[in-house]
Formats: sequence, C-alpha cells, structure tokens
Amino acid sequence: MSTDTAVHCIVVTPEKTELDVQCDSVKLPMYDGELGVLPGRAPMVGRLGYGLMTLNTGASQERWFIDGGFVQVTRDGVYVLTNRLIKPEQIDRQEAQEDLRKATEMVANTPETRAVRERAITQARGKLRVSS
Amino acid sequence: MANIRQLDKRRKSVRNIRKITRTMELIATARFKKAMDRASAATDYTKRITQIVQDLANSGTSVSHPLLQAHDVIKAVDILVLTANRGLCGGYNGSIVRVASQRRNEILEQANAGQTSVSGKRGITAFRFAGVPIEKSYTQFDDQPSFEEVAKIADELIYRYVSGQVDRVDVAYTKFVSSSKQLPVVETLLPFSGFEVGSKQTPVGGSEPGTIRDDYEFLPNASAILQEVVPASFRARLFKCFLDAAVSEQIARMVAMKSATENAGDIIKSLSRTYNRARQSKITQEIMEIIGGVEALG
Repeated sequence: MSTDTAVHCIVVTPEKTELDVQCDSVKLPMYDGELGVLPGRAPMVGRLGYGLMTLNTGASQERWFIDGGFVQVTRDGVYVLTNRLIKPEQIDRQEAQEDLRKATEMVANTPETRAVRERAITQARGKLRVSS
Repeated sequence: MANIRQLDKRRKSVRNIRKITRTMELIATARFKKAMDRASAATDYTKRITQIVQDLANSGTSVSHPLLQAHDVIKAVDILVLTANRGLCGGYNGSIVRVASQRRNEILEQANAGQTSVSGKRGITAFRFAGVPIEKSYTQFDDQPSFEEVAKIADELIYRYVSGQVDRVDVAYTKFVSSSKQLPVVETLLPFSGFEVGSKQTPVGGSEPGTIRDDYEFLPNASAILQEVVPASFRARLFKCFLDAAVSEQIARMVAMKSATENAGDIIKSLSRTYNRARQSKITQEIMEIIGGVEALG
C-alpha cells in the first residue's frame, strides 16, 4: 500500500475502470466467504465469488454487487477484476430466480459441463441473495 | 448542348447528397472517438489479467487448462464472423466476408462439421446469398458492444469447446492496428494461446536486484485461480475482437464518407462548369439570333 492509512481500491471490468477510490477498509466476497482488507495487507491473489463488496470510508458504507472474478492485493492497492459491478438495488429478483432455474436445468454429464453448471448456479444464487 | 434545367437539377441533387455524406462522416467521426475511448478503457482489464497470469507463472504454477489444450483430432471448426449492421463503409464488410469464406473453404477441406456464426446484418445477408448455412446470427452489436452480450457468446464457445463439440474456434474480424491501418484477419481463438507472452517473461532465477519481489498468497490456490483466469482472459479477448471491429467499422465509414463528400464536390464542380457553359452558349445564340434578325430587317 502506498499509504498505510487507506486502502486504494480499484475495480476494473472488461469494459472500463469502474471505481478508483481511497477507503478505510474493503470487504470482498470471496469464493468461500468474506475477506476484509485493511491497509497494509500482505500481497495476495484470490478468486472472488458472487456477492456484496463493501467499501468503508469513515462512517459511510458503499455497497456493490460483484459478479465473480479475481482480486489482486499489491503494495499499490486492491485491484478487483470482475465481469460486472452493479448496485445491489439494480438487481432484479425475478431475473435472478429465472437464472437459477435455467442453471439448475442445464445438462451436466461430463466433469467440464458440471463445472459450467456449478458456476451458473453459484452465480444465480449470489445474485438472488443480494437482491433479497 | 445538355438541357440547362436538367443540369441544374442534377447539381442540386448532388449537393443534397454531399450534405448527407458530410453529415455521415461527422457522425462516424464522433462514434469513432467514442468507440476508441471504450477500446482503450478496456485495456486496463487485459493488463491486470496478464499481470495475474505472470504472477502465477512466477510462483511456479504450470499453466494448463482445457481451453489451452489443442484437441488431437480436428473434426469440427466453428467460425465467428464479425461484420457491420450497416453498409456505406467502403470495403469493410466485403473484405471480412471474403477472408471469412476463404477460411471456411479451407476448414471444409480438413474438417466436415462446424458452425458458422455471423454478427452484423451485412454479413448475414452476404452469407445467406452465398448459400452458407448460418448457425447463429447476432444483430445487437453496434458501435458500442456490451461485454455482457459478448460474454454470452464466449461462454457458449467455451462450453462447446470443453464438451468436445468443437475442436477449434476461429474468428474473422477487422483488426485495429492503428487509426490509419485496419486489417481483415482470421484468428484462432480456441485453443487459447494468449498466455505464451506472459510465461515467457518470467524472470529466470528470481527477481531483478533492487526490486522487492512480492510473494503472493493465493486463495484458494494458484491452480484454482488459473482455472478462472483462463476463461476470463478468453472472454476479454473475444470482447477485444468486437471492440476492434466496432472501431474499424467507424473508421471505414469515416473514410468512405470523406471520399464520397470529396467526389460529390468534384461532380458539382464539373456540373457547374457544364451548366455555365451551356447558359453562356444559349445567351450567345440568342444575341446572334437578334443580330441576324436586325441585319435581315436592315
């Protein structure tokens, strides 16, 4: 981290750099649960799940839905690479339910297709959780 | 001598055409700038992905993934063709269709099955005219393709590749080299080969002196991250193809409309000259007639 008092959080999607902010701490949705990042965290690369990312600045909180991807913590900042960054209120509950239904109906008869199916289900579940 | 009124009419219509082409040129310029900004904004993601892959390679992970492995027997080859929805952009659509059908014929010599998917109305009509069966057609991509839509196509291709329905995926699009050079190319997307550069740059024998090497912690572990990085990178790559195609289309339209405007200007000039000459000769003729009449009377 460049400064030891703040976390420099950068969110990049394939389309553009969505966020570039300084905050006190970041809470990330990892593949297996939440991970909090405070200033001065050791470098790491991790897989993200589908869920809420929370940016804490002072008393205020900013919440975003993260659609999978990776996080890379370096000395300069926290780089979040995700497919999409959306506000939780923008998620349509019905659409998420529909996605989940489609995902569970997918045919999975080989290890590869099973992995694709699992992924689709986790993604839809993550969305559904945030939308409620 | 041509009819004066007809000449004037033609000149007026050419003038109107010039106005239209000029406007289209300006629109294309504005769209090109927007598309260009989007394309350059998208490089951040690719850069970061490459960085992660490099860090993974540095940590000693062997880079392997089903998408990176070439299939032994190539039976089915998919080809995805990216054209424009609209015409009036010079040879843009024509050259893409040409290279794509050429590649398709080559594919048909080696493999027997494969889907041809086309994006863009122009390409769809061209292939339909040529009698090529189109498996999937997309018309929703204009000058600003959205990642969400592209990711759907990418996921489908990934699914087809890992499940063994297809052994190679080619994409035909116009590659943006620089703002003055765009090339219609056919590239092989799958098996994916975007990582060779990353692993080659791995420093041998640790890091350079003077720099602090970060020892990354991998959650859950390096190979699991790689499992995710490869498809993500593939999606980004396909998205880049769409962005390149969009930028190139706008440039092609800009250039085509610019030359159309210039050409219309030339035509107006020559028409004006003929018109003026015709008018003058008419005046001269009338004077001659009057003089002739006066002389006959006198």
